[in-house]
Amino acid sequence: MAEGYVEYRNLRKSFGGLEILHGVDLTIPEGAFAVLVGPSGCGKSTLLRMTAGLEDVTSGEINIAGRMVNNVHAKNRGIAMVFQSYALYPHMSVEDNMSFGLKMRKTPLHLITDRIKRAAAILKLGPMLDRLPSQLSGGQRQRVAMGRALTREPEVFLFDEPLSNLDAKLRVEMRAEIKALHQRLKTTTIYVTHDQIEAMTMADLVVVMHDDRIEQVGEPLAIYDRPANLFVAEFLGSPAMNLIPGTIAQDADGRFVQTEAGLRLPLEPEANGTVGQAVVYGIRPEKPDGRGRGGRYPPGHCVGKDRAVDGQHEAAGGVLPRRRGRAAARR
Amino acid sequence: MRVQESGPMALLFQRLGPKVLIWFTLTFLVIWTATPIIWAILSSFKDPLEIYESKSLLPEVWRLDAYRKVLSMPGFSTWLMNSVIVTVVATIVPLILAILAAYGFARYAFKFRHVLLLLYLIPRIIPRVSLIVPLNDLMSDLGLINTYSVLFITYIASAVPLATWILVGFFGSIPKEIEESATLDGANMWNRLRHVMLPMAWPGVVTAAVLCLREAWNEFSFVLALVNQTDMRTLPYQLYMLKDSMGIQDYAVYNAFTILTVLPLLLVYLLLERKVVDSIVSGAVKS
Repeated sequence: MAEGYVEYRNLRKSFGGLEILHGVDLTIPEGAFAVLVGPSGCGKSTLLRMTAGLEDVTSGEINIAGRMVNNVHAKNRGIAMVFQSYALYPHMSVEDNMSFGLKMRKTPLHLITDRIKRAAAILKLGPMLDRLPSQLSGGQRQRVAMGRALTREPEVFLFDEPLSNLDAKLRVEMRAEIKALHQRLKTTTIYVTHDQIEAMTMADLVVVMHDDRIEQVGEPLAIYDRPANLFVAEFLGSPAMNLIPGTIAQDADGRFVQTEAGLRLPLEPEANGTVGQAVVYGIRPEKPDGRGRGGRYPPGHCVGKDRAVDGQHEAAGGVLPRRRGRAAARR
Repeated sequence: MRVQESGPMALLFQRLGPKVLIWFTLTFLVIWTATPIIWAILSSFKDPLEIYESKSLLPEVWRLDAYRKVLSMPGFSTWLMNSVIVTVVATIVPLILAILAAYGFARYAFKFRHVLLLLYLIPRIIPRVSLIVPLNDLMSDLGLINTYSVLFITYIASAVPLATWILVGFFGSIPKEIEESATLDGANMWNRLRHVMLPMAWPGVVTAAVLCLREAWNEFSFVLALVNQTDMRTLPYQLYMLKDSMGIQDYAVYNAFTILTVLPLLLVYLLLERKVVDSIVSGAVKS
């Protein structure tokens, strides 16, 4: 796998005097499924649109497959994009929607037919080729949008919150379909979402964005287990990570974190920080490791097989550690 | 809390009241607009004296004399042809210009866009009568009086703002992502306009075309001011002249001329109305 298939170098974007992307540096390897995740308005869609060529670059560089594309027209960047609203042509049949890009590029007719057949087979669109988008369900429309991107055989797929308009069940199905498609094609993919579940379940590489900058880049589990800062710690995971302020202390057993209420929280030997330093200690709700014992836990609310509980630890001094456990076990 | 008692009459009124109101209003409006046309149609089949004397709305004998007289007028085919030529040009040309202008206004951000769009309205805001004298002077100086060119220029200038304003709204309502999608598909501006924007704005294009056509076909003040030769008259102009040239007003002939003038326009309306309504409705329910 070659390094840096899609690269951003100190990329900035301003509208008038307002800078809305502050120097993004990011490298996405070839074949990776990178997910840009963050709250609404964090700049992730702007970054995607700049990659597509739909927004100009104010300064910095975008490289795709080793080629700087800042001034390359959108149609020549070798990318295909799936929009949140599907953006299908409502007056064209499914087949025409899928072939439009190829016709515009003057692709020979037999190639167009081949590619549509292949894409239709992959996405199970065969029986719908003659239908208009208005005759399709949300999930089918999304598949047509993907099919349209697929027939182009792009170097990079861009997805801009493609599942936002679908219901929860369909979203899970489509998530699996998109992931399966990526595993089959191995095309470099950049996927924008504000849904952390989508990010965690689909990504090879998660890029957490906040306030128009990148907060952390890494594999999903690595980011989940070792968030780089408080924002990432709080943003990823549901229920959110418990954050308890304290101070690093040391005794004969080694370093630990002492909370203001006197709770003693063990510290891993490789953890950063010096004795006396004020820190925020994070505990994932599903990993209390016995540290939550002694708290008073009310019944909580059931979220399927799990039960999420907001409780107060006697020694946590007003902090409410969240716990998660098997719903059955709590009953 | 006070609960109002509702008897069967109140319930009936609640259920049927709005419908009755709508039907009453619509019936009134139809009668209001259709009565003069119905009167004109029926009168065109009457004897001229019968129009004045008979109290019946229907003719005693259905006569085609008035239509024969109109169709046998020496200049009728010329006036009809003038109307057709001027209308076709003053529909197609403004439509092409308006499509391009409206697409630019709707899709491209440039300085003074809104001011320019407002300036576009000036020809529609200024009373047409106040334009007649300066236009006549100008066209006389240019030697264009009594030519098709003078009618083309004035009619087109009058229709472009109307069509542009209609189309700006239609183009503007097309989601930006669809056009962006076409851009990524490799479509240049012309292809986007031709293959994506125009088909999607088709109800607007047809609406604009029908309005341009109606305006050109019925136009009267410009042709009256800028044409004075008999063979350059259009149908509305000749209809006006009919009144004076007849001496005693022959209402049967006058009404037959009116009906023949309105008929082509009515046919176009009937042909396109269903298409326009269908397109608008289907556009409204598509998500």
